[in-house]
Amino acid sequence: MSKYDVNEMYDRHAEGELHLPSLLTHLGERSLYDAVSQCSRCGYCETVCPTYMLTGREPISARGRNQLTRMIMEGKAGGAGAAAESLDTCLLCGACSEACFAKVPTADIVLEGRRSALGPAPRLIPALLSRLMLERPGLFGFLLKLGALARRAGLPRLAGKLGLFRLLGLGPLEKAEREAPAMPLTFLSEKLAADPELEAGAGDEPRAWAYFAPCGPNYLFTGVGEATVALLKRFLGKGVFFHNSCCGLLAYNYGDIRHARDFARRNIEKYEALRERLGDVKIVGDCSSCTAFMKTYEQLFTAEPEWRPRAAAFAAAVRDALEAVPPSAMTHASKEALAEAGRITYHDSCRACHGQGIRKEPREALRTLAGKRFTELPESDWCCGGAGAYSFTQPEMSDRILRRKTANIASVRADTVAVGGTSCLLQINAGLKRDYPSAKAVHYAQLAEKLTRPPAK
Amino acid sequence: MFRKDRLGGTLEELKRIAGEDNVFTGEADILAYSYDAGSARARPDAVVRVDAAEKVAPLVRLLHGAGVPFLPRLAGTNLSGGTIPLKGGVILNLSPLNKIRSIDTAAGVAVVEPGVVNLKLQEELARAGFFYPPDPASQRVCTIGGNIGENAGGPLCLKYGVTADNVLGLTVVTPQGETLEISTQDAGPDLPGLFIGSEGTLGIAIYARLKILPLPKHIMTAVCSFPSVDDAMKAVAATIAAGIVPRALEAMDRVSLDAAGGGGLKLSDRTEAVLIIELDGNSRRDLDREMAEIRSFAAAAGSLDFREAADNAAREALWAARKGAYPALARLAPNVMVEDGAVPRPRLPQAAAEVRRILADYKLTAGLLFHAGDGNLHPNVIYDERDLEETRRVRKAGHEILRACIDLGGTISGEHGVGVEKRLAMNWLYDRAELDLFSRVKEALDPKDLANPDKIVPVSDRHARRKDAAPAARSSALSALVSELKYRAAHGIKSRVKGLGTRLSSPEGEAAGRDLDVSGLRSVLEIYDDNLTATFEAGIPLRTLRSELKSGGLEAPMPKLDGTLGGLIATKAWPGIRDLLLGLELALPDGTVCRLGGKSVKNVAGYDLTRLLCGSLGAYGVILSATIRLCPAGKAPRFHHTEPRAAGFVPSDVHRRLKRAFDPDNLLNPWIYG
Repeated sequence: MSKYDVNEMYDRHAEGELHLPSLLTHLGERSLYDAVSQCSRCGYCETVCPTYMLTGREPISARGRNQLTRMIMEGKAGGAGAAAESLDTCLLCGACSEACFAKVPTADIVLEGRRSALGPAPRLIPALLSRLMLERPGLFGFLLKLGALARRAGLPRLAGKLGLFRLLGLGPLEKAEREAPAMPLTFLSEKLAADPELEAGAGDEPRAWAYFAPCGPNYLFTGVGEATVALLKRFLGKGVFFHNSCCGLLAYNYGDIRHARDFARRNIEKYEALRERLGDVKIVGDCSSCTAFMKTYEQLFTAEPEWRPRAAAFAAAVRDALEAVPPSAMTHASKEALAEAGRITYHDSCRACHGQGIRKEPREALRTLAGKRFTELPESDWCCGGAGAYSFTQPEMSDRILRRKTANIASVRADTVAVGGTSCLLQINAGLKRDYPSAKAVHYAQLAEKLTRPPAK
Repeated sequence: MFRKDRLGGTLEELKRIAGEDNVFTGEADILAYSYDAGSARARPDAVVRVDAAEKVAPLVRLLHGAGVPFLPRLAGTNLSGGTIPLKGGVILNLSPLNKIRSIDTAAGVAVVEPGVVNLKLQEELARAGFFYPPDPASQRVCTIGGNIGENAGGPLCLKYGVTADNVLGLTVVTPQGETLEISTQDAGPDLPGLFIGSEGTLGIAIYARLKILPLPKHIMTAVCSFPSVDDAMKAVAATIAAGIVPRALEAMDRVSLDAAGGGGLKLSDRTEAVLIIELDGNSRRDLDREMAEIRSFAAAAGSLDFREAADNAAREALWAARKGAYPALARLAPNVMVEDGAVPRPRLPQAAAEVRRILADYKLTAGLLFHAGDGNLHPNVIYDERDLEETRRVRKAGHEILRACIDLGGTISGEHGVGVEKRLAMNWLYDRAELDLFSRVKEALDPKDLANPDKIVPVSDRHARRKDAAPAARSSALSALVSELKYRAAHGIKSRVKGLGTRLSSPEGEAAGRDLDVSGLRSVLEIYDDNLTATFEAGIPLRTLRSELKSGGLEAPMPKLDGTLGGLIATKAWPGIRDLLLGLELALPDGTVCRLGGKSVKNVAGYDLTRLLCGSLGAYGVILSATIRLCPAGKAPRFHHTEPRAAGFVPSDVHRRLKRAFDPDNLLNPWIYG
């Protein structure tokens, strides 16, 4: 790096273990410094960055975040702490990268900035949560169930008072405690493990898909996962349950990137074993944040020659539930289900549209199924403010973003809002309950499953 | 130099006016407002987010009183360092002022706040079937306030004019914090013309009244490829000479085309230049006829390929190559320097060749994009600003390109402004006389030098001299006039500027001063038919002007008026003259001759004193010659103009201050400011 003038913080990135050794950008593999320097400050991202659009403040725009990160790296920003607000307020929605001519990966840059600013020691509670999931999945599940039990036992506030949810880091849970569907006592993974159709032994016929249960459907919205599995069975034939670990996104976003790698390795190994037995299965997940992250697994291992191709192969097999079933397969909707859904609209979950470029498929399907009942949502690809743990870490900003979303939903008088992320589901429903209670958000898979369900015989 | 400790007590006051939550002094905010889309850097001391237009005036009054430098900032997308706080101080972040106040389709007026994004306005207007012509390439992000600050153009300005042609009026907060309502309809010197393009150095626009037009019923687009830039420009010249004014006439060279991957056009391998032509109008038949003409011009110029698109999807496909060029270049390297020069249109091929030579000399890669209809060229030079050696080469090449534009009779900025990055080049374009005049204008409106200080006008090195001879040597009449002015100035003798005596009425006797007869200045200096411009001495009777042009198959698109050209400009008897006028030669009362503007339609190098002089009533200076835009004979629109009775002009405070910048001793037409 003799040519450029950067400080020692940059060199630390080269060490890699606690950071991404390099970024896999649209322009090829780049060092963090090269990736961030690709921002030419043209400002186009500011037309789509939710935090900038709401505040008009440069430091909390995508351009500002890139520039501040770069200045930190160049030793021009005093200390990393200067950029704390700028980095912490980023939704990681990725709208900026889509608007950017050079597709500067702001979200990854911000995360690297956070890792630099915070060092390897996780500061946020979600990081602890993530570690708990990695190291003590049993205990994690037990704690979640304890919270659910307390609630069922008529002690709804107790869990909150105990700070249990806060401890678990699922901030929205605390807020949504009264609003979210009752937390299940049986997790999705337990239910699916009990489904014999989802198992396959050695020597079985090849399977088209393996259902990956992201944490949202697994721990909170089991109905989403069940719907996805039903939908996949209905249209893609036989499949299996992945018996997966967390995808690692929580650790990647909020904690220790080494934990994210550990999660990824586990899932990659599982995938390889599945492939061995069942052929080229597609890994279908139904939380867009997770699927988008899994599609970038390779980026975690750019410095590990052994793992890199394996991660790339895994990533190539990942499909979002939004795209897994071809829209052309879903042609007929039941009248009753349509009547129940009412006026349907579609919210582009950030990591589906910006992260994976999925826009067409769910719309096409919903338009075919619902016809005129489907209506476009203004600013449909504007974040809802859920953004993982954002509503917990930045409650005020999150709420301002949410209000714009619910206002847009109300403006088209929608009854049902289909989404692709479970964080969106939680967030938008919390907002709708307050601002526009006649509408509710459902996961796309749930809606599609309901609409295409054959009549009971 | 402004020192930070001077902000101390002001900070609390700023919070009181702007709101506690709207004043930022943290390191991140300071850093984030130390850059814009250009490459200059300087730190402000505080950033104030302004959430109501009415807060601007009190904020500016406060800062003025405290002696704190300030500047307005919106999207921060300008390419000349215009929003960099060179002396520190306070950034007034006006981006929250993003409301469209009204859209009046009956009157053809939209009233907007400065933070309205250009494209957002277009989208709102389109719902009502209207549009606002200026369409800079960055219209998705740039704001109306920024467009006003830079006098932005865009492809459509060929037909519809630049920002200054499309703003009807402004509400401006002066550097002292007074609020002014100014309009192009006001009597007296044209203040909107001066404020537009002044880059925040003369005041801050808080509302703008914009001219809006009904969307044309039909748009037709064609793409045409040529084996050379020269050939492409031949087709352009033939089109313009035929009196066809396309809504867009864009050109790009091979490098840009290749960068954009050909835009899916699959053009001939011999293609070295591509032309995109777009016509609009309400008669489909007229457009078909014009397009057929253009097709034959292109064929005569040696076109390799000519494709038309009538429907929207096909149009978008044709535009993909042009619109994809910059993004593609932006992917090739971290930085793109979008240079901005303008030359008289017929000189574009030469300019392109010069630019290519310079780029080769400096071993740089660039795509060339042209607004071919108006002589504006944008070499897009790709580089990595972290590579200091390469960056130095880019700067030097940029400077040489600007010098080449000047040598070809052009200017250093067509639409991006001067800011700080082209300040140096102002020395090459202007003589000391003009630069000093710019400084005096700035000083007149901002005596404390607080509003975006150190921009536009060079702060040092004002020694460069233009190579060409002083105009006074042109004719004996001119040199006599200049020496008479010098003599009168030395002796304090006041003058009454007199042409044919058609319009200006003056009191009799002592108060009016001694007659200064300019009717001897009546030569035709240049009829530049390829460029559709002509330069006349100011005393030429309009009748003579018309017949001179007619014999050359040309016409000035203005009503048939009497009197002299200079008189028309000085009295604004037909207000449309402000939009025809490209350049002026002006004698100041002390005989100093200033050359303002030029021969290109787009020119944002320095304050637009050319427009300001419209309606100046001879009291700011003696207009010696003027360059105006023409059209082919018979192609001018019909004018139904009845000359208004000369309204009594009562100078405002701003007019008086400007008078002192031009004529501190009130020597010219003294009764007007008496």
